[in-house]
Amino acid sequence: MNAITESVETRVKRRQLQQTPLWKRILKRPEVGALGGVILVFAFFYVMAPPFRQLSALSTVLYQASILGIPAVAVALLMIGGEFDLSAGVAVVSSSLAASMFATEVTGNLWTGILLALVLSLAIGALNGYLLVRTKLHSFLVTLSTFLMLQGLNIAITKLVTGNVATEDISGMVGFDLGQRIFASNFHLFGTTVSIAIVYWLIFAVIATWVLLRTRMGNWIFAVGGQGDSARAVGIPVKRVKIGLFMVVGFSCWFTGMHMLFAYDTVQSGAGIGNELLYIASAVVGGCLLTGGYGSAAGSALGAFIFGMTTEGVIYADWDPDWFMFFVGAMLLLATVFNGWLRIRALSRSK
Amino acid sequence: MTSTNTPIIQLSNVGKSYGNISALRDVSLTVRQGEVTCILGDNGAGKSTLISIIAGLISHDQGTYAVDGAPMHFTSPRQALDLGISAVYQTLALVPLLSVWRNFYLGSEIRKGSGIFKRLDVKTMQQTAEREVERMGINIPDLEQPVGTLSGGQRQVVAIARAVHFGARVLILDEPTAALGVTQSGLVLRYIATAAREQGIGVIFITHNPHHAYMVGDHFMVLSRGEVELDTPRADLSLEDLMFHMAGGAGLNALQHELHRGEPTTAGQAA
Amino acid sequence: MNTILRKLVGCSAAVAAIAFTTSLSPVSAQAQSAHDYTFAMITHAQPGDTFWDIIRKGANAAAKKDHVKLLYLSNPTASGEAQLVTNVVAQKVDGIAITLAFPDAEETTIKSAIAANIPVIGFNAGTDAWKSAGLLSYVGQDETIAGKAVGDKLNKLGAKSVVCVDQQQGAVQLEARCDGIKDTFKGSFYVLYVPGYDMAQTQSRIVAKLQQDKSVDYIVTLGAPFAPTAIQAADTAGSQAKVGTFDLTPRAVTLIQQGKLQWAIDQQPFVEGYLAIDFLWLNKVNGDVVGGGQPVLTGPAFVDSTNIADVAKFAKAGTR
Repeated sequence: MNAITESVETRVKRRQLQQTPLWKRILKRPEVGALGGVILVFAFFYVMAPPFRQLSALSTVLYQASILGIPAVAVALLMIGGEFDLSAGVAVVSSSLAASMFATEVTGNLWTGILLALVLSLAIGALNGYLLVRTKLHSFLVTLSTFLMLQGLNIAITKLVTGNVATEDISGMVGFDLGQRIFASNFHLFGTTVSIAIVYWLIFAVIATWVLLRTRMGNWIFAVGGQGDSARAVGIPVKRVKIGLFMVVGFSCWFTGMHMLFAYDTVQSGAGIGNELLYIASAVVGGCLLTGGYGSAAGSALGAFIFGMTTEGVIYADWDPDWFMFFVGAMLLLATVFNGWLRIRALSRSK
Repeated sequence: MTSTNTPIIQLSNVGKSYGNISALRDVSLTVRQGEVTCILGDNGAGKSTLISIIAGLISHDQGTYAVDGAPMHFTSPRQALDLGISAVYQTLALVPLLSVWRNFYLGSEIRKGSGIFKRLDVKTMQQTAEREVERMGINIPDLEQPVGTLSGGQRQVVAIARAVHFGARVLILDEPTAALGVTQSGLVLRYIATAAREQGIGVIFITHNPHHAYMVGDHFMVLSRGEVELDTPRADLSLEDLMFHMAGGAGLNALQHELHRGEPTTAGQAA
Repeated sequence: MNTILRKLVGCSAAVAAIAFTTSLSPVSAQAQSAHDYTFAMITHAQPGDTFWDIIRKGANAAAKKDHVKLLYLSNPTASGEAQLVTNVVAQKVDGIAITLAFPDAEETTIKSAIAANIPVIGFNAGTDAWKSAGLLSYVGQDETIAGKAVGDKLNKLGAKSVVCVDQQQGAVQLEARCDGIKDTFKGSFYVLYVPGYDMAQTQSRIVAKLQQDKSVDYIVTLGAPFAPTAIQAADTAGSQAKVGTFDLTPRAVTLIQQGKLQWAIDQQPFVEGYLAIDFLWLNKVNGDVVGGGQPVLTGPAFVDSTNIADVAKFAKAGTR
């Protein structure tokens, strides 16, 4: 027995000496493909579009990326947990509509609206999660239903409350200045205007990455998405984890919704449709598997960055606007293919 | 190192019925420290009902089930687990895309820090998992590697080692070798023997492969249609006997006799 | 599907009537048997657009006055809008008012409506196509004329480089506006497509364009909801570009009052919705065909700091 323990100790020590080098471990991370895509797309537009080289252009691109990226980070967590959320795009608008209308029509103070919207957004997330675990349907179907219902509710309730299909201008109301400073202010950095949304985006990406890799909850998210039955068998509360993840998406929708409200003062009730796919696309480009159990929050942030660079890059490069969507699609395809190729190479190399 | 005669689990005349259908009748079984008890039987023989009762998934309705001498009626697997009775099912409760050490600690993570900064103690978990894996004698080059990339036998061993590490005194192994080839089965069987002899764990080994059972078993029980067909220690049994019983025993003998009228048959051929 | 839509229309309209003291009370809330006719209004509106809501208010006002039942239906895609025509023909409505945003896709189904003896009137979109599609009359702004008027105005204001913000790539009436501007405007001209109502993306794209081409001194938005975003984008990009817009919203009115928005070119959507329904009614009760083969023009009318005070009070009520 003693002899065995000793040999184990020496083997463990020897193993530690031979530990895999850092760069090899980095190459194995799910977001490495997206990082490669970022470099590729950035280099491409840096060469092709001189205006893209300005610092202020980077700020614009990052802003575009952050508005997609904040929900995309949460959606990445959800996808790693094995579920979809198609309602996220309109849920952002639901949140800003609720905040705006509750404040303008009922209380007169924006902060009550902000809180109501938070409760509502978390409730939408919880409802998605509850319906999922209750009906045992695929989350694609469940959230497709809530997506359609929210889309209808956004317009119907806005019309009921305001008589119009857009909300009133909230600038100048009680609580607007503080709200704007928190959710939608700009600051100057190296002579460029930078939106605070970019800062939040980076913070959320870092927190989500930390949670995924360094907390018990992160472990559980991977397990729940990777093999739900196994997770249940080792005592992980699978249903609660899933409902919690939907509520995290709800929170991110609220946050984005508040930014949109305070940045643009009014809300069109028909907005937000289609963005849910961009969130999912960002997460997938960032390394998340559509089947769950694998992925990265940081990668999802990089995915949103790729999308931001592509859409803005086409404008900076001054390409024919009629071809706009084609260029965006082609660049995304290129980035995604490159991303997949790099990931496969990285995995096979470091084996 | 261990005394081989302390009973941990004792079942006396245990039975379970669903309405009029009785799934299990009159089963008596003793699991002792450091002993491997093999339970064999055809599909539908009552093996899974039996291990479900032992693991606390379902409750028996006849006879007594005692752990350390105290009669028990489990209502959840958690209660069985708390007494050190741990089951490793064929699905293994592993997550293929997660790394070996994360799987090892899944659901029982070690954490440090407090409040919102409570986080995984990655270093401790990695080192402990590494030590346990080394102790089992399987060679996993990188603990960060996903469990899904391990061989079937290695995965079994990781799952068993995990149960042992988290305080199993009785291990219920549900057909651990069923889906494995010869080499991989050998790996698992070697580990079963080690776990029992060196760590003094009582093992309940469910299988329908009499060869595998005979290699590691100390005690054998063959179930057939919910009843005990054979219950005997290793000393009183040859592999041929076991194979004969496993293959259907007297019933099969009669069947063969019927199919090949007049041809003489032996137990050995029947298997 | 249609019954659900009808219920929604009726329901929201009913509450709107309670909520507002304007005379725009809905017709569809009343029992069907009480109406002389059922008219369908089919548009290519994106749901939740302020502009279309004003059109609908006009249509509701006419429906109430003429004592007819109004079915309001919309779908922003070509095939979707065409499908709606097929649906209402099957429902045997007494008249159809339609926006010809996608003439090629809609022509066949419109022909089938005409073959079923249902009078069809065009409004808002389709200046060039309504005659060949066999429509009785057309109510709306001639988008090309409106565009040309904007081009002239830009020349007068001394603009050198203009960006035109288009929120629905491929919609003919928006293209016509752009073409009209291009026709008369003498400086350099660039079209920027933005995705629906996503204001963050819209702002980012306008900012990117302004950073890419620093000579831009005027931004024209083809929809009024985008004007505030364009103003903000110019501010973010540190550009001196001024902003003008097609159409009006209460927000645009405020911005004109504040001097942040230079002007808006109004096609008076309330009138479009109102007249389209009224013309159908005239045709049914009296066999009238209005317009004499020419479009009935509702615009363009410029709203700027000189006449904003008059327009403001109607805009507040949501009818301009």
